[in-house]
Amino acid sequence: MNESHTMSACGSIGARAGLVALVFGLAASFGALAQTSGPIKIGMIYAKQGPSASLGEFLAHGTELALGQAGNNVLGRPVELTWLDEADPQVAQQNMQKAINEYKVIAVVGGNSSASALAMMSVASREKIPLILPGAAASEITGKNCNRYTFRTQATVPVQMRGLMPYVSQLGKKVYFITPSYAFGQDILRSSRAMLKEVGLTEVGTDEVPVNTADYSSYILKIRQAKPDVVVGGLVGLDLSNFLKQWNELGMKDKIPFVEIAVSDTDFWNVGPVASTGIYVKPWYYNNPDNTSSEKKFVADFTNKYGRPPSDKAWSGWIAMRSLLESIEQANSTDSAAIITALEKWRYTEGKFPAFYREWDHQLIKPAVIVQIKKDITDKWDYFNVLKLTSDTEAETAKSFGTREEIGCKMGPI
Amino acid sequence: MLESLLSQAVNGLVLGFIYVLIAVGLSITFGLLGIINFAHGAFFALGAYVAYQLYQMFGWPAVVFAPIIVGVVGMVVEVVLIRRLYGKEPLISLIVTFALGLLIEALIRVFWGSDGKPLSPPSALTGVFEYGPLLITNYRVAVLLATALTLAALWAFLSYTPYGRILRAGGRDPEMVDMLGINLPRLLTAAFGLGCAIAAIAGVLAGPLWTVSPSMATNAIMPAFVVVAIGGLGSFRGAVFAGLAVGVVISLTIQFKPDAAAASMYAFMFLMLLLRPRGLFGERWERFE
Repeated sequence: MNESHTMSACGSIGARAGLVALVFGLAASFGALAQTSGPIKIGMIYAKQGPSASLGEFLAHGTELALGQAGNNVLGRPVELTWLDEADPQVAQQNMQKAINEYKVIAVVGGNSSASALAMMSVASREKIPLILPGAAASEITGKNCNRYTFRTQATVPVQMRGLMPYVSQLGKKVYFITPSYAFGQDILRSSRAMLKEVGLTEVGTDEVPVNTADYSSYILKIRQAKPDVVVGGLVGLDLSNFLKQWNELGMKDKIPFVEIAVSDTDFWNVGPVASTGIYVKPWYYNNPDNTSSEKKFVADFTNKYGRPPSDKAWSGWIAMRSLLESIEQANSTDSAAIITALEKWRYTEGKFPAFYREWDHQLIKPAVIVQIKKDITDKWDYFNVLKLTSDTEAETAKSFGTREEIGCKMGPI
Repeated sequence: MLESLLSQAVNGLVLGFIYVLIAVGLSITFGLLGIINFAHGAFFALGAYVAYQLYQMFGWPAVVFAPIIVGVVGMVVEVVLIRRLYGKEPLISLIVTFALGLLIEALIRVFWGSDGKPLSPPSALTGVFEYGPLLITNYRVAVLLATALTLAALWAFLSYTPYGRILRAGGRDPEMVDMLGINLPRLLTAAFGLGCAIAAIAGVLAGPLWTVSPSMATNAIMPAFVVVAIGGLGSFRGAVFAGLAVGVVISLTIQFKPDAAAASMYAFMFLMLLLRPRGLFGERWERFE
């Protein structure tokens, strides 16, 4: 009796388990059907709050515009974009996981800060989801921490510093560094120090500044005491805006030149023409006469849609999304491995020489642009004169991004 | 080295005056209403944005109306939301005002956008004052004077006017004030509006120093809480001393260990609270015992 009860109970449990399995199986089948026939879901992870929120807005607008230019669909299916926050590395990592688990995205475009990018790319690798970083310049992202699922559009810190250093050495011999105290800032220091002797510079002081610093007056007093010939910065977003504002306020703007890499137009639009000064390296500039025809169309479409020209961040979001959409089309599949392979073969051929993700480290091989603040800024948006690119030829560009041994990226299989 | 220390200490005092002004509003709101207002930083940012808007529309003289406008907004918020928190657990007011802060920051983003707004000091106040190692900008001197004037006026108002005495009495014993026939709800509305208006004055003064952006609320609120904790919750005098001390501690840390600058005020708070758990001038609050 007991045995029969047990058998019956077992049978009942077995039947329920079978039913549950059937339901889950059906759900999975419908899910799979949805993946092959419904909208294609892509995640965006950009800052919505905090000092990088304005950068996040431009990144998102650029990404959305690339999708709009592609008719809001890929493989003949509509694309659903989900924008999650990149408030800090922890939030960015959680949202990367959320985008994959809850929103079922097939790829993510996002990660502007190097610290967030490093946190997000570990999730991309574990979950086998393609991630394209439109910002994040720290070397290790495509260096020792590289992985097969992560791609990056922005030139690395060493590439940008190498482009900037000749200008630094023209401005004087004594250099002072003011950099943020995280991966990006540490990379600036490491890369610059490796080049100091080569370009005949001496370091007279260094301040590693906490992120979200509102008042720089005490740092500026230290710089003033050290009497450098030039200051090399690494401050990001509103931190740079605050610094420039106070640099001008304390009367230093015309006394000591300021230079920096990986800046964005919004850093200067935030402070206005009065406080803007310096020489900078940035991924792209909207008013560069050498921009390609599709970039010029991007500028026109962006300006029409948002009432202001695109910043370099908007371009970074645009090129990242464009490369992803074209690669999905090329792969003719939403399968992660197929997209990765297509991204590794993707080429942007409109420029003087092609831009592409290098197969063995997934770094976009494309020179950055060196710009200088205009003496008289008469336009609300046009602050810069373009000086040159960080490299002028295809061979020089490939060399500037470093060799396999220098980069140290060791990728696993897909 | 002595010159560097002197220069940083003076700069820290100037910075401290801004912290004092942000913290005093917070301290007053707690002292008079018993509410720990996490949205205080948002009212600070709102002050800067309203000042920016008034400057754009009418020029510099109009920015004096920014604190009044924000004070009125604060009074409306008190009537609609804050008065429902009186007598409730402090945790509820913390959560509600935290949410309020996020809401105000989101509204700022909706109205003015996520990017910063350029607001430079008035041309009459540009330039620097140099004396040996000391370097202070004319605008910072103006901020120092405006802060000192605001604090003096506030102290005189709370200490020597009947309205100020009623406000302080309402903070300590609301029931007795009510029983004396004074309209307590109206009094509390005015007190909350006053705290918001002071936050807005700090925002107006900080706008040309820092970038006017939605995230300036976050940059303001943490030092303000640290200052209030060190000075003693609800203590006007404590906020002044602690604000100046925090400014000097941050500046001196930047001179010697810049990457620890943000942490230095928390370390200072930790030390001070170990020595005086109620803060420098903290008093016993019967309502919270």
